[in-house]
Amino acid sequence: MSHVVTFDRARRQSPIALALSVLISLSVTFRNQMVRAVSGVRSAAARGSSAAAPEAAALATTKREPERLHEGDPVLALDSVVKRYGALVAVNAVSIEVNRGEIFGILGPNGAGKTTTLEMIEGLRAPDDGCITILGMPAQRQRRRIQQLIGVQLQSQTLWQELTVEETLRAFRTLFKNRVSVETLLDRFALREKRRSLVGGLSGGQKQRLALACAVVNDPELILLDEPTTGLDPQARLVFWDLILDMKADGKTIVLTTHYMEEAAQLCDRVAVMDKARIIAMGTPRELVRELEFDNTIECLFDGDIDQESLLALPEVTGLREQADGSHFIFTKDVARSMAALIGLAEHKGATIANLQVRSATLEDVFISFTGRRLRD
Amino acid sequence: MKQPAVIELAILQGKMLARNVSFWSVSLLIAGLSMLVFGYLFKPDARPFSLAVIDEDATQTSQSLTAAFEGVENVTVSTRSRGEEMQRFQDGKLGAVVILPHGFEAGLTHGQTPVEAYFDASDPVRASLAQTTVAGVIEKFNQQAIPDRAGAVIDSRSQGTKHVRFIDFLTPGMVGMTIMWTNLVVGALMITWREQGILRRLGTTPLRPSTLIAAQAISFASISIVQSAIVLGMGALLFGVELHGSLVFLSITVFLGIMAMLGIGYAISSFTRTTPSAHAVGQLVAFPMMFLGRSYFPMDPPGFMRPVVNAIPLSHLNDALREVVNYGGGFGDIGVHWLFLLAWAAAGFIASSLLFRWQ
Repeated sequence: MSHVVTFDRARRQSPIALALSVLISLSVTFRNQMVRAVSGVRSAAARGSSAAAPEAAALATTKREPERLHEGDPVLALDSVVKRYGALVAVNAVSIEVNRGEIFGILGPNGAGKTTTLEMIEGLRAPDDGCITILGMPAQRQRRRIQQLIGVQLQSQTLWQELTVEETLRAFRTLFKNRVSVETLLDRFALREKRRSLVGGLSGGQKQRLALACAVVNDPELILLDEPTTGLDPQARLVFWDLILDMKADGKTIVLTTHYMEEAAQLCDRVAVMDKARIIAMGTPRELVRELEFDNTIECLFDGDIDQESLLALPEVTGLREQADGSHFIFTKDVARSMAALIGLAEHKGATIANLQVRSATLEDVFISFTGRRLRD
Repeated sequence: MKQPAVIELAILQGKMLARNVSFWSVSLLIAGLSMLVFGYLFKPDARPFSLAVIDEDATQTSQSLTAAFEGVENVTVSTRSRGEEMQRFQDGKLGAVVILPHGFEAGLTHGQTPVEAYFDASDPVRASLAQTTVAGVIEKFNQQAIPDRAGAVIDSRSQGTKHVRFIDFLTPGMVGMTIMWTNLVVGALMITWREQGILRRLGTTPLRPSTLIAAQAISFASISIVQSAIVLGMGALLFGVELHGSLVFLSITVFLGIMAMLGIGYAISSFTRTTPSAHAVGQLVAFPMMFLGRSYFPMDPPGFMRPVVNAIPLSHLNDALREVVNYGGGFGDIGVHWLFLLAWAAAGFIASSLLFRWQ
């Protein structure tokens, strides 16, 4: 009897409450399923063709030509795109067209606006002005369709440390309608031996390859890579370049940012040189260098006083830039004649040459000739 | 074969959490250690105390009940005069005084008969121990001595006849605490993902925030359910803590508790920016909750604190768990607590979905 107080109220369980909670959870599940089904039908219909080919056996095999993109249309087009952060203009009237099968590089120093530009293409930021067209679709309005068709690797991409290589690929793969098989990706990116290793224990190059593999789990048309080789050792960078070139061979379009001049020169079909939110030059690396008035650059530091006028008056010299540390970039059409005259000048003025370097013109000189600064200070 | 993204993500998220051993083991260890400490070492229930039985009836029945009290372990029974014993009770020397009044035996033949009992409230642990003991003895007496009659009833002067040991009280509280610690972590997890740029990366894919949150909720809930089962199983196996209520009600309570704590976790992630600050805010939320929410000790808060304590989701989770586990409570007893938990879950999830950002 001493229990009577508590046991009295015990057994009035309400079946209504139980039914209600089950009903709620069921309806939520049902709604989600409906949303998924409807959106699936909608985009499959819009895409027109092969939504019924879920497993792409190899990267190159699936053809998913969006109907709005005609032959010869650019895969990616930016038209006077502007992005402001308060008073700061991060991207100023940038216009770019990238063609199918091209490796397009955006070259510039840190803070030039490369990442912001890429983030607007990726859909992570909305442009304040101008318009972006991706695969023939307006980027803002058709974002969900575009997300299915692009591959992205962010700057210094971190992945889940507690997952294995294979699980990481599965995690990204499951987000897309079109899925490349894990086996294909493991082979393609030389990660087969590491498939059961945790991401936390991978080397820099392996992490980089995994991040790149994650960017192509959906066999994307357009691949966007933000500074993909920053921090890699030279060996890993070469491996990475090969992978990019393989993708190009498969007909993929690749846009990447870099502050490595050599990377832009060797890897990219075309380059946009960006500085202070603007594009200052665009073309193939060869064109850009050829358009310079000079063929060589003499970089020298004098121990003594030599005025700029006499340097500019040297034979075949087309231009001059003085650096913050007092050294000069002397641009010349004929390095032998300019050099001989330069040494004579130094002797005449009683100055010694403390440091001297001569090199043929590169993309770096394109940047220097426009901005007066090196790419990486 | 294609699995829905939410399931595949939930499995992978579950693997990540499972591999983070400290994440799931620490709260479980705290719960287990607390139960071992209070169940074996301190044993607030097993402290010896003195008890006076005043037999005013002096019949065979009343004498056998007195003898029953004398047979209880850890209890010293004295049988002096009423005046003497009440004086000792006033002096705090007795945990309880039980008075078997005139006509006790005669009353039993008619049905029920009251037993007067006084408990010294100045020592709450001893008082609850004495209450439990007296109630237990009388119950046993009723069953053995007079199975065909209604039996003795303890008089209203003695309240709290619930037969709940401290470990019975503690075990559901440890379940509640574990649920809280585990699920609040989702806030710090989201901040870490945001800091590392993983959320930004996911933001470039077709993944919807709702799918991500659903997958995380499933995996956190799974881990929480296993932890709850371990705590309850440990209580049952080591200490004989019984589940008096229905398993269905227990499951619903655990589920709602998980959702409420996840909701708060997500809300924290919406308001904080860095992982350390998310951890700090989480602990700032969790520690007061753990104590005010009655995970360890029964607490009657002073008046001004009462609204705070009553709003705390952990209070409702613990109360609901105790109703189900200890008292076999039904919907009438725990419905209010469920509503509170549901409200917290809804508030947290709505706030975080409104404030959700990939970066």
